[in-house]
Amino acid sequence: MKVTREFERDGDKVAVRAEHVAGDRWRVRVGDHVLEFDARALPDGGVRLAPVAVDGSIGKATVCYGAGSAQRYMVRTAGRTHTLTAPASRRGGGGGGSDGTVRAPMTGTVLDVLCQVGDTVTADQTLVVVSAMKMEHKLAAGIDGVVQSVSVQKNTTVDQGQALVVVEKAAAE
Amino acid sequence: MTDHPPFRRVLVANRGEIAVRVMRGLRELGIESVAIHSDVDARCAHVLAADHAVALGGNTATESYLDQQKVLAAAKATGAEAIHPGYGFLSENSAFARAVREAGLVFIGPNPEAMDRLGGKKAAREEAIAAGVPVIPGTEKDLSDDELIAVAKKIGMPVMVKASAGGGGRGMRRVEREQDLAEAIAAGRREAKDSFGDERMIVERAVFPARHIEIQIIADKHGNAVSLHERECSVQRRHQKVLEEAPSAVVSEELRKRMGEAAVSLCKRVGYDNAGTCEFLLDDAGNFYFLEVNTRLQVEHPVTELVTGVDLVHLQLAVAAGGNLTELLKGKDLTPRGHAIEARICAESPEAGYIPAAGLLELVREAEGPGIRVDSGVYTGWQVPPFYDSMLAKLIVWAPDRATACDRLSQALRDTVYLGIPTNVDFLRRIVDDQAFRTAQISTDMLSQRPELAKGPGDAPSDEVLAAAVLCQALGRSGGGGGGAAAGASAGSSGNAVWQEFEGFRLFEGVGGAR
Repeated sequence: MKVTREFERDGDKVAVRAEHVAGDRWRVRVGDHVLEFDARALPDGGVRLAPVAVDGSIGKATVCYGAGSAQRYMVRTAGRTHTLTAPASRRGGGGGGSDGTVRAPMTGTVLDVLCQVGDTVTADQTLVVVSAMKMEHKLAAGIDGVVQSVSVQKNTTVDQGQALVVVEKAAAE
Repeated sequence: MTDHPPFRRVLVANRGEIAVRVMRGLRELGIESVAIHSDVDARCAHVLAADHAVALGGNTATESYLDQQKVLAAAKATGAEAIHPGYGFLSENSAFARAVREAGLVFIGPNPEAMDRLGGKKAAREEAIAAGVPVIPGTEKDLSDDELIAVAKKIGMPVMVKASAGGGGRGMRRVEREQDLAEAIAAGRREAKDSFGDERMIVERAVFPARHIEIQIIADKHGNAVSLHERECSVQRRHQKVLEEAPSAVVSEELRKRMGEAAVSLCKRVGYDNAGTCEFLLDDAGNFYFLEVNTRLQVEHPVTELVTGVDLVHLQLAVAAGGNLTELLKGKDLTPRGHAIEARICAESPEAGYIPAAGLLELVREAEGPGIRVDSGVYTGWQVPPFYDSMLAKLIVWAPDRATACDRLSQALRDTVYLGIPTNVDFLRRIVDDQAFRTAQISTDMLSQRPELAKGPGDAPSDEVLAAAVLCQALGRSGGGGGGAAAGASAGSSGNAVWQEFEGFRLFEGVGGAR
């Protein structure tokens, strides 16, 4: 049994390959780094991991929890939560993507749409106002350009990562 | 506490953790609970916890939990005799409290007349002055710009310039230098006019550095009011409390007594009944100044419960039904015992500017163990709606002393798992483990002075973390119930839409001994 995943770390692609050895023993290659663990699934959804040293001695165990998809996986280990993303996916994230696509930073309600197709806008100009969890978020495109499409209306609900407005860089003079 | 339940059936006009907590108290007293809910909340934890549930329709708070007519109709339709408002929503709305009374029902909170006298900041300040409670030196009436500047110069810089109708920090500014006063007042007036339609401003001495100390009061309809002592809520962000504790590390027995007496005298003056909280600022020299009264049960009430041994919801119900505190608290020693700390767990990313999050909680595992209490409103598989407050649960610990309580809270946060959406759990742990918090060197501006606590280490995940992630995917499972899927598929692929949408990650379940 083998499981392979790719993650993005510090802008680099890292391949992680876990291979079942025998019993509870797993060998994991993170890039060129080889680690061994005794791993056991727990009834509450967690996994108990004990590192195995080169000399075969077994280190202090931790319980880890994971959830998510191949694109965005959250893992909680040693009392910290890490959100890992696959290299190909840069979905969601901040309001003003520098690619000119304005995305909803979270699920919420559109309070106002302040642009129309054909408008010339600046990088930090507020194009859409989204309200979520009692907070207002002013969203901008992050680039100067012309509005190519507006795919939302006022008072509609939007999902996290949903594209709301697309701005294309103005042609160089 | 009572030989017979004070009510037969009570409607809880709230949602999430506080509604669940109130219902737990109702059940302990043998009282039936009625939940109300919006459309998205049809399977919220409080609905599952209730004996009866009424759908109000709508999703926004205005369409549901704030719609007084709908709430009253739900109470009538289910035969509830009383309404517990929780906190937020309609809890401090005196018009609602009146409407409940006029409908022949009992409002589990203070009488609307007392709420009105303490409602506005200015009105409350006047009552406090009349009750002999110290207030922050400053203006009381509507003044011109020049008069405000004159007062500011007289009380001494720095000062706070605030909207008289204010709240939530809007229209509020701290001014360090006399020459900046005119501009700050003008900007404050504009902001206040936009926010509240009222451009009146007040000037107060800036109490700094300050600690937020509040006194829990319980009062009955017979003129008795009792202090249940202080809570310290100095760790705040933009007037939102982050960590709360009881007792305060800096409040002496003598100061506790004086602050308690001040709060009791204010409550007695306005004919207050039920639970309430008097908020104060405490300066370095040990002077305390009245801020405001919260005329409801507070989010942080559990820390008081843990150190005094009283159940505030039980007491609220008993006094609302006409109970006498002399009887209810007879023989009880209310002296604070041990130390309790509460951490508010919210769906937000302090690391990314505190941006709140909504969405699916794919895996929830709450802390447990000796001295640990979790007041939660969520569960694995719950879709956190974007329409309401971002608080998911409260983690509260008790220990014989503050140092042990800090250790216990740190470990409980370590054991706390909410996956699927970002939360502030790691941020809370960074604060609890910080030397300043451990030594109780806290003040209301701690978080703004120490932005690194919110930012976090920002380090890239180690090889061990990446390995753990893949082993969790190989062996673990999340979500409740449901069947597994085929193992062995190599990924990096766009994956399976079903497990992306709901119930978390379930590929590879059943491998390597997992059940």
